[in-house]
Amino acid sequence: MKFWDHQHNARSETRRLLLGFAFAVVVLVAAVHAALALAWWLMVAVLPVHLPFPQGFLAANVGVSLMLVLGGWWVETSNLRAGGVKLAQRVGARELRPSLSHAEQRLSNIVDELCIAAHMPRPQVMVMPRTDAINAFAAGWDESDAVIAVTQGALDYLTREEMQGMVAHELSHLHEGDTRLKMRLAGMVFGLELVYNFGDTMRERRGLAWWFGSAIMVAGFAGWLTGRMLKAAVSRQREYLADARAVQWTRSRDGLGGVLRKVMAQRRDTPAGYAENPVHTGLAHPAVQHMLLVDVPGRSRMERWLDTHPTLDDRVQRLYGRRMQPLPAVPVPAGHESARRDEGGTAGTVSIASLVDPFARFM
Amino acid sequence: MSATAWVVVVVLVAVGLWAVAVYNRLVQLRNRIANAFGQIDVQLKRRYDLIPNLVEVARGYLAHEAATLEAVIKARSQAQGAAAAVRAAPQSASAMGALAAAEGVLGGSLGRLMVVAESYPELKADATMQSLSEEITSTENRLGFARQAYNDQALEFNDAAAQFPDLIVARLLGFAPAPMLASTQSDEERAAPRVKF
Repeated sequence: MKFWDHQHNARSETRRLLLGFAFAVVVLVAAVHAALALAWWLMVAVLPVHLPFPQGFLAANVGVSLMLVLGGWWVETSNLRAGGVKLAQRVGARELRPSLSHAEQRLSNIVDELCIAAHMPRPQVMVMPRTDAINAFAAGWDESDAVIAVTQGALDYLTREEMQGMVAHELSHLHEGDTRLKMRLAGMVFGLELVYNFGDTMRERRGLAWWFGSAIMVAGFAGWLTGRMLKAAVSRQREYLADARAVQWTRSRDGLGGVLRKVMAQRRDTPAGYAENPVHTGLAHPAVQHMLLVDVPGRSRMERWLDTHPTLDDRVQRLYGRRMQPLPAVPVPAGHESARRDEGGTAGTVSIASLVDPFARFM
Repeated sequence: MSATAWVVVVVLVAVGLWAVAVYNRLVQLRNRIANAFGQIDVQLKRRYDLIPNLVEVARGYLAHEAATLEAVIKARSQAQGAAAAVRAAPQSASAMGALAAAEGVLGGSLGRLMVVAESYPELKADATMQSLSEEITSTENRLGFARQAYNDQALEFNDAAAQFPDLIVARLLGFAPAPMLASTQSDEERAAPRVKF
C-alpha cells in the first residue's frame, strides 16, 4: 500500500470539503432569505392590499440565521470544550491500570512504543470496561487533554499486533488534529440544525408563524443535510488517512486489517438490535459516535452518504488490495487472567457480572 | 568607494548570511540526530535493566541451562560497556559499530534464551515471566521504532549536507555524514536462519 499517496489524497480532499462547509453556511443564509422573501411575496399576492417588504427585511433574515448558526456552533463547541478526558468519562471510560492485568500492561506499552514511532507526546489511555464490542476512540482539543479510549472487547479479543494497528489508527487522529476538527464540525452541524429546528418550532403556532416557519424549515433542512453530508465526507477521508498512518507506523497491514476483520465477524455473529445491544454500552453516545474506530450502525437506516465512516469492506479492501474474509473473534489467551472468560467462542456475548459491576471481570 | 566595491561588499555580505543560515540549519539537524540517539539510549538502558530480572526469574526454572543464562549476562555487560563508550564519543563511527555488534550478540543470546524458555511450560506460565517478557517485547519494539526515527533524522541531515550548494559550507566546516544504523551486522545474520537437526 502506498501510504504517502493516500495521505496526500486525504489531506487535499479534507481542505476542499472544509471550504464546502463554509459555502454551505452561505447558501443556507441565502436560502433562508430567499424562502422568506418568496413566502412574503406569495402572501402579498394572495392579499388584496399592496405591501412592500418590511424595513430591514434582508438584514433581519441574514442576521437571525447567522446568529442561529454561529450561536449554535458556539454553544455546542463550549459543551465539547470540557475536553477529551471528561468526554471519555461521560461515556463510562476509566483510567488504564497497567498493574491490573496483562492486557492492560500490554496496551500501556503499545501506546508508549507507537508514540516513539509517531514522535508525539503520550496521550492519556482509558478503558471502557463495560463494552464488549471491539472498538476505540480518540478525543481531545490539544496535546494536553488528548485521550485514547479502548473497549474491554478490544483488550480481550485482539492480539498484540492487532492492538498496535488499532492504537496507531487512533494516534493518527490525534496527530493530525482530527479530533479537534471533528469536534468543530460537530458544532457547526449543530448550528446548521438549529435553523431547521427554529422553523419547526415556529410551525407549532398557527397562521403567519406557520407559513414563515415552513419556509425557514425548508431552507434549514437543505443546510442541515449539506452539513451532515460534508461532515460525513470529511470524516470518511480522515478514516482513510488514519488507516494509512497505522500502516506507516507499524509497517504492517495485518495489525489493523485483523482488527477490522474481527469486527466484521463480531457484527455477523451479534444478534439484531445492534445499537441497543449491551455490547455497545456507551458507544452509541452522540458525542463519541463519530470518533469511533468503527461506527456503531445507526438505529434508523441512514443513507450511505450520511455515514461518518467508510464501510468495513471498503477499508479492508484498501488495506489489502482485495476482499478479505472476516476473522473469528475469540478471546486471546493472554496472561494470568485469561481463565476468567469461560463462555468461550461466542463473540459479542457479555457476562452479566461485567454489566453490573465494571470491575467484576477482574475478580 | 566605487560602485564595484559596493557590489563586492553586498555580495560578500549576502554569501556570509547564506553561509550562516546553512550552518545553523545543519547544526539544528545534527542536534536532532543526537536527540534521536538519546531516545535509543533510553531504550537500551531499559533493556539492560530488564535483562538481569529476566535471568533471575528464568534461573529458578532453567537449572540445566546455566550456559545460556551466562551468555546473556555476559552479552549484556559487554553491550552496556559499548553503549557507555558511544555516550562518551557520540560522533565516533567505530564506537557506534562496536555498540551495534555488541547489541547483535545480546539480541542473539536473548533470542536463544527465549527459544529455550519455549520448552519449559512452567516458566512460560509464570506470571512474573509473562510480565517481564511483555516488557522485553515492548522494549524491542521501542528500540525498533527509535532506530527508525534515528535513521530518518540521519537521512535528513545527510541529504541536507550533501546537496549543492549547501555541500560547500558542510565541507568547509567539517560536517561529516552521520552513520546509519543497520538492524543486521553481518552477512550470516542477513541470511535466513536455517534449522539443523
